[in-house]
Amino acid sequence: MDKNHLAIEVDSLVKKYGDLTAVDSISFTINKGEIFSFLGPNGAGKTTTVEVLECLRKPTSGRAYVLSFDISKDQDEIKKKIGVLPQEFNTFDSLTVRENLQYFAGMFGSSVDIDSLIKLVDLEDKRNEQYKKLSGGLKQRLGVAMALVNDPEIVFLDEPTGGLDPKARHEVWNVIRGLKKQGKTVFLTTHYMEEAEVLSDTVTIIHKGKIVATGTPEELITRYGQRNLLILKNTDKAAVLLIETLGLEANFDSDAGDVKVTLNHSSDVSEIVKALTLKQIVFGELQLRRSSLEDVFLNLTGETLKEAETL
Amino acid sequence: MNRVLIDLKASFKMFFRSKAAVFWTLAFPCILILLFGAIFSEMDSKYSLYVQNQDQTLASNSFIEALNKTNAFNLQTLDPTIDATRYALDHELSYMLVIPEGFENDLGMSMNSSGATNATIEFIYDQSQTSATVVLGILNSVINEMNQVLSGGADYVVVQGETIAPKRFSFMDFFLPGMIAMSAMTTSIFTAVEISSRYRETGIFRKLATTPLRRIEWILSRTIYLIVVSFIGMGVILGLGIAFFDVKVVPDPLSLILVATTSMLFSGMGMILSRFVKDPETAGAAANAITFPMMFLSGSFFPLEQMPEFLRGIATVLPLTYANNGLRDAMIMGEPQRAIINTIIVTVLGIISLLVGAWITKWEEE
Repeated sequence: MDKNHLAIEVDSLVKKYGDLTAVDSISFTINKGEIFSFLGPNGAGKTTTVEVLECLRKPTSGRAYVLSFDISKDQDEIKKKIGVLPQEFNTFDSLTVRENLQYFAGMFGSSVDIDSLIKLVDLEDKRNEQYKKLSGGLKQRLGVAMALVNDPEIVFLDEPTGGLDPKARHEVWNVIRGLKKQGKTVFLTTHYMEEAEVLSDTVTIIHKGKIVATGTPEELITRYGQRNLLILKNTDKAAVLLIETLGLEANFDSDAGDVKVTLNHSSDVSEIVKALTLKQIVFGELQLRRSSLEDVFLNLTGETLKEAETL
Repeated sequence: MNRVLIDLKASFKMFFRSKAAVFWTLAFPCILILLFGAIFSEMDSKYSLYVQNQDQTLASNSFIEALNKTNAFNLQTLDPTIDATRYALDHELSYMLVIPEGFENDLGMSMNSSGATNATIEFIYDQSQTSATVVLGILNSVINEMNQVLSGGADYVVVQGETIAPKRFSFMDFFLPGMIAMSAMTTSIFTAVEISSRYRETGIFRKLATTPLRRIEWILSRTIYLIVVSFIGMGVILGLGIAFFDVKVVPDPLSLILVATTSMLFSGMGMILSRFVKDPETAGAAANAITFPMMFLSGSFFPLEQMPEFLRGIATVLPLTYANNGLRDAMIMGEPQRAIINTIIVTVLGIISLLVGAWITKWEEE
């Protein structure tokens, strides 16, 4: 079978640390040019997997190929063709943006145009600023630029927006979208559902070292997501009984004073409003919650992402 | 090699941008030198000096009294009937002074002949002991002053020593090589500990590991960097000594080799420390725990001979002792053979330490 279209191929990969199995026989493929997200809570095995693919760690068993190069034999070749933004990225504090890029370009013997990289991540105003003086978002953008100094075919971004505020996060997302436009394959690890949902061509959910689902975000939501949810804010408990007579599942959140209804069809909303009005049951704001990857995760693992991280 | 040069260039940029690094590496030893220089240049530390007065005359007693008034020595008198050399050997004295019988006569003749003849005193000393040479220097300068007062220049009294040509040493002559070795030690161990533990903690090692830079190239760059910084420290210390304290020591190839190997020795030790003590603060404290006693116990500031015997025993197992001794042998004593022995010891220890440090330094924890 022709595997030229594959950027990464992983087959039955296992990584153990003593008695702990961090990655438990996972297999997946990534096509060239796509944004592939590895979604899962902290400790799920995401970083271990990417570090094995980046040739930083040796697998306990299994095989993996990066651009058809074997990770157990061709480390030098692989390192030349990949770019890496490590988790909790840091670089030399007292070197400027430009100097940091020059340093890492020098390590690859690359003659990349540093100014165009600075422009790509929109750091032109900060090119002569020392790294330690940059904000979190700017640091991450520099980290992405540093992952590109060798003009890599695959870019590994490990939690690229961890700890960033929403504005900075969106700025980094724009940079990631720019990478796809340049034809690069992006391997993204994240525990942010929204990030995986808005950026990815393919999402693979990993939990306790095992892959539990893979597909496009839409496919996963359709296959594993919940039905949409209608939330009636500040509503009398009596609404629950009434809504149940319409054949819908409803429950009362006594803490918030909200009634939550699981919808079968979108037309259910008008039926509910009509019934409540008729019975003169007062309700506050109406909120419609679309099913998301969060629900997919919950359905597949029995835990919310937050719960999975605290376990 | 190109990657090593790139890393070196970046390291020096970072060094000169870090006020703390420049202070501790260059300014701190300067402050110590100025401070010690101000205290001890005027009032050199006192040495215990055993004196045997075989002459027992007015002149010899006056000479001893004059010597006492210089405040350079704590004088101890020795019974004139005993064999001075035997006594020095039995009591492990590094040096002693003997005023021979006939001193008064010789002095009288010397004064009558305006210095054509002279009265001699004997300085019995162990050449291998640094302090003996220092004391001989001080003794010579004291006697020169006496001659100056008595005659206006003619040598009425001379010191007869052993075969080596006596040299004049000031406290600063003695002190500067110790400071150079100490500076190479602290610069190398603290920088190695700081960089290794911080790069590991902040993930810079992980980032470097994703590039074609090899660990051995990085360690080579680090070693060269620390040797060069130690040379810069040596240059600054010598410059200060020459400018302010009239020090006349000149670095020769042996002293340069010693500074380089001292730097290697303590770079390796820093790498080993940061491998076992991973938290940067604790690693720094551990480096302090190693260097601080070493500064005081290996003769950086004061001659080992002034220390109690059990501390001298400890000094023999401290690598900095050999760096101090070697640098003094090479730079002020003019004892190349002893300097070579010390250089060989430090070089062997330096290579072992660096190899172990390089071998156990990991960029990534498994």
